[in-house]
Amino acid sequence: MVNAVHDVEVSIVILIVGSLVSLLFARRRKLCGWVSFAFVCASSVYTGLAVVGACTVASGEHTILSLPQLGSSLTLRIDPLSAIFLAIVAVIALLSTLYSVRYMEHYAHDKVAKFFPILLLCVASMTGVLVCTDFLFFLIFWESMTLTSYFLVTFESENAASQRAGLKYFIITHGATLCMVAAALLLWRTSGSFSFDAIRQTLSAMLTTRPVLANAIVFLFFMGFATKAGLLPMGDWLPDAHPVAPSGMSATLSGALVKLGIYGLVRLFCSFLAISPSLKIWGIILALAGTGSLFVGTLTALQQTDTKRLMAFHTIGQIGYICLGLGVGAYCLDMYPALATVALAGAILHAVNHACFKSCLFLGAGSVLYRTGERDMDKLGGLAAFMPYTTGTTAIASLSIAGVPPLNGFASKWLIVAGCLLTGMRFPLFLVLGLIALFISLATLASFLKVLGSVFLGRADENLGIKEVPISMIVPQVVLAALCVLLGIFPQLVLRVIGHAIEGVTATPVAGVNASRMWSGLFLIDGSPVAFWSPLAVLAALAVLALLSYAIQRAGGARTRSVPVWYCGEEHAPATVRYPASSFYLPFKHAFQGIYPSGKVHVPRFPAPLRRALDFDQWLYAPTVKVIDTAADRVSRTHVGILQIYLLWIVIGAIVVTGILLWVRG
Amino acid sequence: MITSVAVLMLILPAVGALLSAALKRRARPAAVMTATITTGLAVWLTLSTFGAPYTRMLVDLPWLHGIVDTPILGIFVDPLASLMLLVVVPIGLLTVLYSTAYLTDKNREHPVGNEQYGRYYFWLLLFITSMVGLAVSPNFLQFFAFWELTTVCSWALISFHQNAPSLRAGFKALLMTSAGSAFFLLAILIIFARTNSFDFSALGRLPNGLRSWVLLFLLIAAWAKAAQVPFQTWLPDAMEAPTPISAYLHAAAMVKAGVYLMARTVSSGWGIPPKISLLMGGMALLTIFVALSFYFVQDDLKRLLAYSTIAHLGYVFLGIAIGGLGATLGFRGGVLHIICHGYSKATLFFCAGNIAYATGTRNISELRGLGKSMPLTATAFFIGLLSVTGVPPLACFWSKFMILSGAMRLGGPLGPLILVLILCETLISFGWMLYIGQKIFLGAPLAVAQAPADPPWAMNVTLIILTIGCVAAPFVGMPLVQLMGK
Repeated sequence: MVNAVHDVEVSIVILIVGSLVSLLFARRRKLCGWVSFAFVCASSVYTGLAVVGACTVASGEHTILSLPQLGSSLTLRIDPLSAIFLAIVAVIALLSTLYSVRYMEHYAHDKVAKFFPILLLCVASMTGVLVCTDFLFFLIFWESMTLTSYFLVTFESENAASQRAGLKYFIITHGATLCMVAAALLLWRTSGSFSFDAIRQTLSAMLTTRPVLANAIVFLFFMGFATKAGLLPMGDWLPDAHPVAPSGMSATLSGALVKLGIYGLVRLFCSFLAISPSLKIWGIILALAGTGSLFVGTLTALQQTDTKRLMAFHTIGQIGYICLGLGVGAYCLDMYPALATVALAGAILHAVNHACFKSCLFLGAGSVLYRTGERDMDKLGGLAAFMPYTTGTTAIASLSIAGVPPLNGFASKWLIVAGCLLTGMRFPLFLVLGLIALFISLATLASFLKVLGSVFLGRADENLGIKEVPISMIVPQVVLAALCVLLGIFPQLVLRVIGHAIEGVTATPVAGVNASRMWSGLFLIDGSPVAFWSPLAVLAALAVLALLSYAIQRAGGARTRSVPVWYCGEEHAPATVRYPASSFYLPFKHAFQGIYPSGKVHVPRFPAPLRRALDFDQWLYAPTVKVIDTAADRVSRTHVGILQIYLLWIVIGAIVVTGILLWVRG
Repeated sequence: MITSVAVLMLILPAVGALLSAALKRRARPAAVMTATITTGLAVWLTLSTFGAPYTRMLVDLPWLHGIVDTPILGIFVDPLASLMLLVVVPIGLLTVLYSTAYLTDKNREHPVGNEQYGRYYFWLLLFITSMVGLAVSPNFLQFFAFWELTTVCSWALISFHQNAPSLRAGFKALLMTSAGSAFFLLAILIIFARTNSFDFSALGRLPNGLRSWVLLFLLIAAWAKAAQVPFQTWLPDAMEAPTPISAYLHAAAMVKAGVYLMARTVSSGWGIPPKISLLMGGMALLTIFVALSFYFVQDDLKRLLAYSTIAHLGYVFLGIAIGGLGATLGFRGGVLHIICHGYSKATLFFCAGNIAYATGTRNISELRGLGKSMPLTATAFFIGLLSVTGVPPLACFWSKFMILSGAMRLGGPLGPLILVLILCETLISFGWMLYIGQKIFLGAPLAVAQAPADPPWAMNVTLIILTIGCVAAPFVGMPLVQLMGK
């Protein structure tokens, strides 16, 4: 119904107004933060209404303005796929803004006027991207999103690393956007319109008549979306940009912004491309790219000692999982639609889950940074005693990202890997990819055990004065951790909407995942026990085992006493004897040292001969002027100053002119 | 009514110029008032002739009686003229306003005593007169007269500081643009000799071969004025002029006279041969890349902006060339680029002026971390930079997009070739300008930036208005541009 679109429009307007209002309050940090949070709340309410509306009733569209001479119009429409991503954006934006209200105190030197107004504009752009159905305006919102996030990444103006990271981010993503502009214009040449429906029809027609051009266009769109999503090797901007941003923004970047790249990829491969042999090849390419990202990303993360940089590499890894699922889904869409649904559902569910746990992790790292001023894990340790809530939420989020049942990461990874393996029985490549994905799950767990171990466990110096973070920073982390648990136990809540979304986007009926029964779990492929996951059963089993172990402990009646750690008779400060993060997994570090190549980009220098050739002044104009000057000099030598010579010139001139006249007349 | 307003709009800045010359030290309020009233008249004129082109011929030349009996000099206001007026006159007002604060003895880069004011405002207002006259010219002759007047004013204003480099730069600009004007005069003479008329449409009455030659001569004149290859060397040296002059003459107004000539020529209702369009387009692309190659070695901020201006004028020529090859959308994009680029580049130049005023230097290597002490200038600079390099939703994105769409309407491989070249150039110039902007404004401040003076309100207000222009220019330009085309 049109109301859902209307709600989104109101939401965007609220955010824009809020941006201007918070600029007025910029001098008072906390007030600016709370005002911004109020506006984000209001807009999230409207976005929430829109999401609920779009999931229940088919949505109409609303055209705000149209440019018929370009074949474009600002038409907004929400379908269930947009609704899922809108929900992600709204929730993450809300929680990040709440978190940032107190977090921005960390930055004493930089004014808040650079943060909150721009953050609100960024959220508005993200919302706009998800509801556009016309490529020109999609592009405008997309680039606004990049523009605003650039200013947020370079927020710390005196930090050279921030500036470099922001520059790299903007240039790489702008290049990606220009690829998309080229693709859209090439399509427009044939179709005359920028709307998504026109793109779909034209591209489908072109795949049969002009396959080379069509695949080139798909490649350009793929580059555009994959760069934003953070797929390697285009996603090289991610490990530099996500850590340097303020932590609320890091959470938004990793949680929401890269999901918009995923949204683009889903639309591209499931909606724009018709079912054809190209789709299978693109599916394989996507799956391979995804596997490459998850392999390289996670193994590089294993070697990091900076909390936020480690998490940024894990974002690349998890995006790899999502792309693997998308690739399998695209491959199977033609011949095995049930398996395609499994993989696609896994991919989109993993996007939702990733938003939850990755944002929670970044907020946790931010909390540690806020209280200790450190991101380097070698210098941190034993914070569990001082920051219990942060420890708890980071632990839950870490287990989620590692895919430990019954948390949410497991459900989506299980679906993706199931899709890979079941397809792999028909096409062996996917079997290999699925096994790599399983192995990397283990690497993810190892990596986060390192984080938990070196940051939170162990002992710390008692008189460092570290306390837990304020309530307004705890609440977002707790909410996200709770979502991780909730979505883990009841994945059906989201899977139903995802089912509608896939149906809407691919226009094929959903058959693969049976998520209708809330309390008995997920069944794959029509109820036959090919695969089955019941989180409640596992939770019940874990609860029973926990009770049992507690009962045994009480029955045994062993006395526990706390003693200081024994260091063979010597006294050591806890910081010196902690097992530092850089010592974890040394064999892996040695084996995979060069896995993430990095190079330096130099300022372009033009070759000297070319510059000389282009310097027209030097070889063209200056010599010409010199020649004219010399000639004029020579002529002026006739002015000798002697009257008789001038009379001689007059006489000679008169004779010459008379001669010419007589010759012409004759 | 319209005629009187137009004539008043033409005469008023000239009167203001004379008044400023007479008032000397107290010239500034007179100059500002004159410019304000002229702006009001220009806006009124645009609104009242919207949708209905207006022509009125007023003065005839007695010595041409027998050959041409109708009046020759007059007023012609159509969408293209309105667009030109909307670029030239408001930015002229903002330049005058900015100069009242910039050209004082508090300027750290080039302090100017108040005995110079009379001379400065005289030439500036005379220049505004000549641009207005050029914009509303109904034929080539009047166009040429005001064209030459702009050359003279430009010479005087470039050499304003009267030191050796600026005198040399002014003379160089005069020579090179006059060389182009010689070709312009030749073209007019050929047209008049053949058709007894100076009209823009008289070009269509020439035989084909001669028409190509005349178009070539006009093109050379336009290239010289707009600093395109091979005449591009005068513009970077012209940055010796005071910064408001660089912003106005050499970004928004005088160099636009060259592209305006071509726009008028191409849109006068007859077919321009494809060879000439291809030549125009090819040289435009060459200019864009030649200018790009000079970005990376510039240390002077104004010289960098000058090369950027050269490239963007190439864009306008490219758009007009695409229009000449048949795609009207390209022509409209090129003309829209006039207004979008004018406002964006003026923003950037005025930011450079703020920096020079406050810190005394224009060298990029000496400037760091200015964002803390000059936040308004930093914001305006980033908005101007993003606007000029074509980041949506700011101004030049729309015009570049229209030019590219027009290119795609052409048949054959030409469209995709132009697309690839332009997108490459866009990315490279965007990356470099962003890098420079970051270098100057972000980062830790250097000593020279530690205690800059806060620029006076006149300069800040100008900057704010121009920044709004960076966003609003396409909205103003689009309705006018939609009315153009065959």
